[in-house]
Amino acid sequence: MTITPTQWAAILPLLFPALGACLIPLMSLDRDQAAAKWIRGAMYLTALLAVAAGFWYLTDLWTTGAQPSFHQLHMDRLAQFSGIFILVAAAMTILQGWDHFHQEGWVKGETLSLLLFSVTGMMLFTATSNFVTLFLGLELFSLPLYALVATVRPRPETAEGGMKYFLTGAVASSCFLMGGVLLYGFSGTFDLKTAATLLQAQGLGADPLVLAGAALLLFGFLFKVSAAPFHQWTPDAYEASPHPVAGFMSVATKGAAFIALLRIFPVSLGAVRGLEAHVQSALAILAVLTLVVGNLTALVQTNVKRMLAYSSISHAGYLMLAFVAGTPAAFSGLLFYLVIYLAMNMGAFGLLTAFGLVGGHTTFEDLRGLGWKRPAMGFCAAVFMLSLAGIPPLGGFYGKYMIFKELVGTGHVGLAILGVLASLVSVYYYLHVLVALFLQAPSAEAERLASDRPAVHAPFAGATVLVAAAIVLAGGFTQAFLVQGFAQRALQEGLGLFR
Amino acid sequence: MTWLNSHPLTFLVFAPTLLGLLLLTLPQTLGKLTRLLGFLGALAIFVLSLAWLLGRAPGAPLAEHAPWFTLVGLPVDYSLAVDGLNFWLVILTTFLVPLTMLGTWNSLKDRIGTFAAMFLLLETGMLGALVAQDLFLFYLFWEGMLIPMYFMIGVWGGDERRYAANKFFLYTLSGSLLWLVALLFLAGKAGSFAPAIMAASASTLPFGVQCWLFLAFAVAFAIKVPLFPLHTWLPDAHVQAPTAGSVILAGVLLKLGGYGFIRFAIPMFPQAAMHFAKPLALLSVIAIIYGALVAMVQRDMKKLVAYSSVSHMGFVMLGLASFTVIGTQGAMLQMLNHGISTGALFLLVGMIYDRAHTRMIADFGGVATKMPIFTTFFIIVTLSSIGLPLTNGFVGEFQILNGTFLSGFAWGRAYAVIATLGVVLGAVYMLWMVKRVFWGPVNPDEDSGTQHLHSDLNAREIAVMLPLVVLILWMGIHPSTFQAVSEAPVATLLKDANAPAIRPLVLPSAPLPVPVEAAVEGHAPASAEVHP
Repeated sequence: MTITPTQWAAILPLLFPALGACLIPLMSLDRDQAAAKWIRGAMYLTALLAVAAGFWYLTDLWTTGAQPSFHQLHMDRLAQFSGIFILVAAAMTILQGWDHFHQEGWVKGETLSLLLFSVTGMMLFTATSNFVTLFLGLELFSLPLYALVATVRPRPETAEGGMKYFLTGAVASSCFLMGGVLLYGFSGTFDLKTAATLLQAQGLGADPLVLAGAALLLFGFLFKVSAAPFHQWTPDAYEASPHPVAGFMSVATKGAAFIALLRIFPVSLGAVRGLEAHVQSALAILAVLTLVVGNLTALVQTNVKRMLAYSSISHAGYLMLAFVAGTPAAFSGLLFYLVIYLAMNMGAFGLLTAFGLVGGHTTFEDLRGLGWKRPAMGFCAAVFMLSLAGIPPLGGFYGKYMIFKELVGTGHVGLAILGVLASLVSVYYYLHVLVALFLQAPSAEAERLASDRPAVHAPFAGATVLVAAAIVLAGGFTQAFLVQGFAQRALQEGLGLFR
Repeated sequence: MTWLNSHPLTFLVFAPTLLGLLLLTLPQTLGKLTRLLGFLGALAIFVLSLAWLLGRAPGAPLAEHAPWFTLVGLPVDYSLAVDGLNFWLVILTTFLVPLTMLGTWNSLKDRIGTFAAMFLLLETGMLGALVAQDLFLFYLFWEGMLIPMYFMIGVWGGDERRYAANKFFLYTLSGSLLWLVALLFLAGKAGSFAPAIMAASASTLPFGVQCWLFLAFAVAFAIKVPLFPLHTWLPDAHVQAPTAGSVILAGVLLKLGGYGFIRFAIPMFPQAAMHFAKPLALLSVIAIIYGALVAMVQRDMKKLVAYSSVSHMGFVMLGLASFTVIGTQGAMLQMLNHGISTGALFLLVGMIYDRAHTRMIADFGGVATKMPIFTTFFIIVTLSSIGLPLTNGFVGEFQILNGTFLSGFAWGRAYAVIATLGVVLGAVYMLWMVKRVFWGPVNPDEDSGTQHLHSDLNAREIAVMLPLVVLILWMGIHPSTFQAVSEAPVATLLKDANAPAIRPLVLPSAPLPVPVEAAVEGHAPASAEVHP
């Protein structure tokens, strides 16, 4: 089988991280201490190079405007967009990981390898509308994540979180598979776009089994975006995982799943008449549930990571509202929201590393007074929290603004009101972080402990936090440029929306 | 310089932020230098605003307009303007910021540089909201303002500061988030955020929808005013905030609520606003009386002043609800009055607190013998707050009551009479407080506040109070300096509202024959409405 240059162009962005993932385990052999230091450096460098190569290649594709494909893998604009999104998240994760794993004292090579495999899977997941390829992508990104959650083995709770994530994730994957099989059984094709046309032609759009198949597929996606009531794994998994991995999961998993959901449901399966309405009403109900559960549960958390987990659940709710509105403008709002969300959440988890909080020491108590001790980080924390809460003029406001505008415009005023009330509730727990950072002095006990501990040294995590804060701030002032230049082009040229 | 000449408002709005961000980067050890830089910057901005605004031909509008961005099909314009409605409020803001910085120079001990930076960021939010002519832009400034104020209360406030800061933030945000939905709804219909286009679009909507939209606007602004029963955040925020925060909160932030009504809520939904005139007036009257009664029983001077704010801002809302030119003009003036008088009261309370470290009325007594200069200033400001003729408070309250009394609404006279009781009650709580704090023998208790008063006002504090006293008298003696500019816009505003004609009081002819005035058609100029 020969592969033409255009076909190479489609798979190369995936091959770079995959190649990196294969190379790294070769280096992670145990050596003496002196050599180990250099080997670690080489591993992180390899991982960064793999990510950078993929990033460079995708940006090059984006600027040329080419949309190559390799059989069922379509590296179109939307796939390029999500690829860049995932690679940026991965790069931040690797940088934060260098600092975090040193703080944890648990530097292992396979972590990076797993991360890169997961990146490959996510890029595959968002670049296809063929069910088998989709499932391949889903498993390729999920399995390494199960292992990553439980990566810091000396902490007992990591095994619990990892196991919980794995078991529930396996159920979701099998449901996803079952849904695809049902659609295949009726249409006789794995390509969901063709399947939709065939189902519509045969008048099977309202068949209960077809609807059940679609519902099971949807369940698979909603599990990955951690929408209620499929969200229970989220806080445990985030709490168990190392901070950068939790950040990566909250951002990249959610982003990839939402982009794939966008590609499959409104677009590929859009031809099945009647299905869209069912999906929208299901998403509307679940979005309300997600917003209520996520925000109210986040209110009572004492651990910052669990709070951020519930916050990421509630953000899934806002993003699902974009599907309820269902207009191209709402979807471009969704993509913009995801970009800002990437910066806010990678930044928020990066802060935990930058502050040197290890293991389970991530309660609000541990944050007290740190904002004044580390003013630059404190400023970034204020940017992230206010942006997560959707306070203008930060980037997070515009994501919500676009989605709510489209909701109101399509007649869902009630949902929009619920959405703003949910974000009002969310302000309280985001302010809680700022209260701890700025408004409370550290306890005497913490002061005494801090003086014993060596100074926190996390240059890479600090740098990613600064970059993320710059993105959030810039998002508030270049919103139109970002939306028109990237989000709308991805949807227009990748999916044929805005026509 | 050419850029400055064509963009004076941009400079006024964003210069404080640039300076504030610069100050944030200075280390904490340079706090004193940072504070000085912040003060000089704020002073320069005040001088520039005076030069640019007063140096122009009267009535000549100052405006900047440029398209900003288009998102989800809605264009947002970068549109700033100073006209009759916000002219004096802009000057009040630029005036109060440096004055407050100077007045509370030594009040804070920690992180004074950061505080100055927050203050400047807040100034940008306030000025931006005052001059923004695009509702989206207004919303951005309106919300952005909360962030520095949150930190000012939360970091430098009193013992309950965290609770007060959170309450302030969430309370204000709750109104404005619902307002945002209304804004999006209307902007989606109109395809623009320009108030004129939105108003035109609103007038085509069914009346019921207009009412809902007006209510969303009104609640957001009423929380800021604050109108009874949405005032409960105010006492907490005022009492816990540091003096500078209280001054600016009372001086400018509350004004933005009233300004929002005049600028947006009433002109955009004139019919709905008329429909809700009675409930608004009723709540205003309740606020006047209730605020005064609660102020009367306070033991803490700062809390007393905070509740008096509720009462005074009730007058503003009553004036607006009267839908007469004189009442609205009075409301505009009362907003300035309240900014000056209540701002001055908070400054004075802050000055005595810095010396005695208590604000409890019972801890004082006989302060007049210890601090004669302070007492003089306090009495003048108190009288202005009560509304003594020749001070600013009298003019504003008189015009508001006059407007309400003469308004064409059936409830006008009754409400005016009840609201007048508020003026009396105002005299009661203020003078009673003055009696207990300043007069009488010196409090003999060794631990009392009076015993800790070792120095009268110094030159800096006198320099802060003098301009305020001058303004109090100026506004009382020659209010038209401050009212001339808003006369025309207010008249236009009310013409659109189609308010009922004013009802001059016709006294019964017996027993003495009184010449009956002819009913004034439409809206005569303010002077003609003053009943003999």
